[in-house]
Amino acid sequence: MRDILRRNFVTGALGVATMALLPLGAVAQNASTIVIAQAADAYSMDPAKHSAFPTANVLFQIYDGLVSQDEKGNIAPALATSWSNPDPLTWRFKLREGVKFHNGEAFNAAAVKHTFDRALDPNFKAPYYSRISQIKAVNVVDDYTIDIKTEKPFPTMLLSLYEASFPALIVPPGYTAQNNGADLAAKPVGTGPYRFVEWKKDERVVLEANPDYWGGKPAINKVIFRPIKETRTRIAELKSDGVDIAVDIPPEDISSLEGGDTKIVSVPSEFLYFLAFDTTRDTPLKDKRVRQAINYAVDVDAIQKALLNGMGTRIALTLPSNAFGYDPTWKAYPYDPAKAKALLAEAGYPNGFTIPLMTRKGRYMKDSEIVEATAGFLSKVGIKANIQYLEPGVWGQVSEKKGREGITFPGWSGRDPNLVWAPLLHTGEYQSYYSNPELDKLLDAGAATIDQAERKGIYEKAAAIIKEEATHLPMIQPPLIYGLDKKLSWTPRPDGMIDLRKAHF
Amino acid sequence: MANFLVSRLLYAAVVLLGVSIAVFFLIRIGGDPSALFLPPEASIEDIQRFRHLMGFDRPLIVQYWDFLSRALGGDFGMSLRYEQPAMQLVLERVPATLQLGGAAFVLSIVLAVPLAILAAANRGSAIDRASLLISLIGQSFPAFWLAIMLILLFSETWHVLPPSGRGGWQNLVMPAIVLATYSTAIITRLLRSSMIEVLQSDYVRTARGKGVRESRIVLSHALRNAAIPTLTVIGLQVGALLGGAVITEEVFAYPGIGRLAIQAIANRDFTVVQAFVLFMAAVIVVINLLVDLSYGLLDPRLRKGK
Repeated sequence: MRDILRRNFVTGALGVATMALLPLGAVAQNASTIVIAQAADAYSMDPAKHSAFPTANVLFQIYDGLVSQDEKGNIAPALATSWSNPDPLTWRFKLREGVKFHNGEAFNAAAVKHTFDRALDPNFKAPYYSRISQIKAVNVVDDYTIDIKTEKPFPTMLLSLYEASFPALIVPPGYTAQNNGADLAAKPVGTGPYRFVEWKKDERVVLEANPDYWGGKPAINKVIFRPIKETRTRIAELKSDGVDIAVDIPPEDISSLEGGDTKIVSVPSEFLYFLAFDTTRDTPLKDKRVRQAINYAVDVDAIQKALLNGMGTRIALTLPSNAFGYDPTWKAYPYDPAKAKALLAEAGYPNGFTIPLMTRKGRYMKDSEIVEATAGFLSKVGIKANIQYLEPGVWGQVSEKKGREGITFPGWSGRDPNLVWAPLLHTGEYQSYYSNPELDKLLDAGAATIDQAERKGIYEKAAAIIKEEATHLPMIQPPLIYGLDKKLSWTPRPDGMIDLRKAHF
Repeated sequence: MANFLVSRLLYAAVVLLGVSIAVFFLIRIGGDPSALFLPPEASIEDIQRFRHLMGFDRPLIVQYWDFLSRALGGDFGMSLRYEQPAMQLVLERVPATLQLGGAAFVLSIVLAVPLAILAAANRGSAIDRASLLISLIGQSFPAFWLAIMLILLFSETWHVLPPSGRGGWQNLVMPAIVLATYSTAIITRLLRSSMIEVLQSDYVRTARGKGVRESRIVLSHALRNAAIPTLTVIGLQVGALLGGAVITEEVFAYPGIGRLAIQAIANRDFTVVQAFVLFMAAVIVVINLLVDLSYGLLDPRLRKGK
């Protein structure tokens, strides 16, 4: 508890310091407008009613969550100023006082309760229900204190409440009730740094600065989000000064956007590129030595260098390097094809074997290129990977039937072992094709432990098993690459959320 | 005439029913949108729960009957993604697409008709050979490639036209050119060859023998008769323009029905795909009807129905 308070003080002091610096930038360019080109338009202005990141980026300027994320990626106070665990099944939040929604409604404990009660109602059909479904009840303690109750200890609660958990953004109870929520879905009202102005479908969403924002009025007065699906068109808009931030720039276009009136900013995403192995069926992948051989056989560093311009972060285990419990001293299997061949021979496959490699195409940056390069490395040690590209809907159907055979390139994200290893490696989980009772025990313990130091110890043991068992071939956290107007100062976030609170020209 | 209209309307109803069946079942072959709509970590129970809430777990035939009976009452269902009536989403975007399609249509007529007339009247000349080259190029350039090239030239290099969006006429120039390219080529080629055919016919020879001026022969006698097959193709081109708008709108981020359709297909937003396809089918049926009716205006022989 004391720790949390101290951190809040530090964050607050940092915030004040940044705010003191901001006006300098704002003066440099008055009447400022920022235009952001994303691949898709918003689908709804109701944060609990959508499941798309481009929509979330728009809404995060309008709404706030109880907690947010600071520039280092740590969970930081937002509408909640501090939190504690009176018991393992309760998360108590102190709420920020004096905050008003854009329509004048007061932000208080009732608004928080309303927000979660609404999204947790099964008939509401919130697509991101599963992010908050651990919440059993939200109880008002007093006007500015709230208890969130869970059935079981829920150590990753804060990750379920920050802005990437879409239905956790706080909505105004009175306004939300109007027209059964249709008003909120069309003309949103939040507590955030920007107020809604206009939404022309598939054309633009226009927002204006909220002078009364509790975190200080943002430096840029006007925000326009434009949906531009085609990458080349986004780049052309950036080069012809039509937009100030263009998302998802391919690595090969970086050099043409560096210099002149544009620049590139990039950050390793929290997303995980890795190969998963089906160990539930009777294939060579059941043998640990074969899985280790695959880890030795693929030169991931070379793939990263050649296909991603060396950008992104090489991971040693399937866990983002900013996740809880990630240890920077972890080492990936080195590239050693001779060792791979030896292990294959030891496992009884001196001439290799043939195995399917299932993936999707164009889903993630350079996915098919990376898969093809990987298959190339595998063939050098005798493993013939038959690449099958599945259409996203078919991938979903196959997955539901637990039909991902052989090697797969599934992609995943999550900033806690409980959000990555539990779904991917725990026996019987929907996405898991692996079973190890010893690991299950550790993962169960990690999921039920609130104490951070104790959890860390548990996951250290789990990590050792995962490494030795070579349950995956961990590869890369791919980069997020943005093209920017040269004059713009803005920092991208590893989770891909666009935060304009501190952006300025 | 009344008989003709009634039979055509019946025919239109059958076509639309067929289209509704085809689109309804085809889009469902690849599975329902539940898994795509929920977050990646959603459990199998989450997916099944959502599927049940949305009614996607009912037998397809029941779902189709539900859809059809509502559609007959004008209710095409709610979009899963937008939580708005699907047909409203389509209709909202029609003006933008009509504006673009209209600009492209006018552009292709303005370019193709004079070019074809000049080419046919001066067969074998430089202008005739140019018309052949233009129609060959126009038919073989992929719209996608052409769009990117125009953006590279006019937006990235010369900064004279905005690469995307909707607003002023400047936003229409490049998409209209891309969209008009193919139809210009088709119309030029077809009108040219039917003009040449007509210009060799007996009554043209007679008219020439009577000393009628060549310009009158070409513009009045020949053009009017050559227009009938061309009109059929122009009617088809309206459909092609609407269909071609799908790619063009996507590249130029133009907020029309084509872009809505692409997204809806990618998201498996069934109701929107259905509303889009049925709307397009209805438009094409109506255009074909108008084309049939307009033959009578051009050729009195076709006016007497069977």
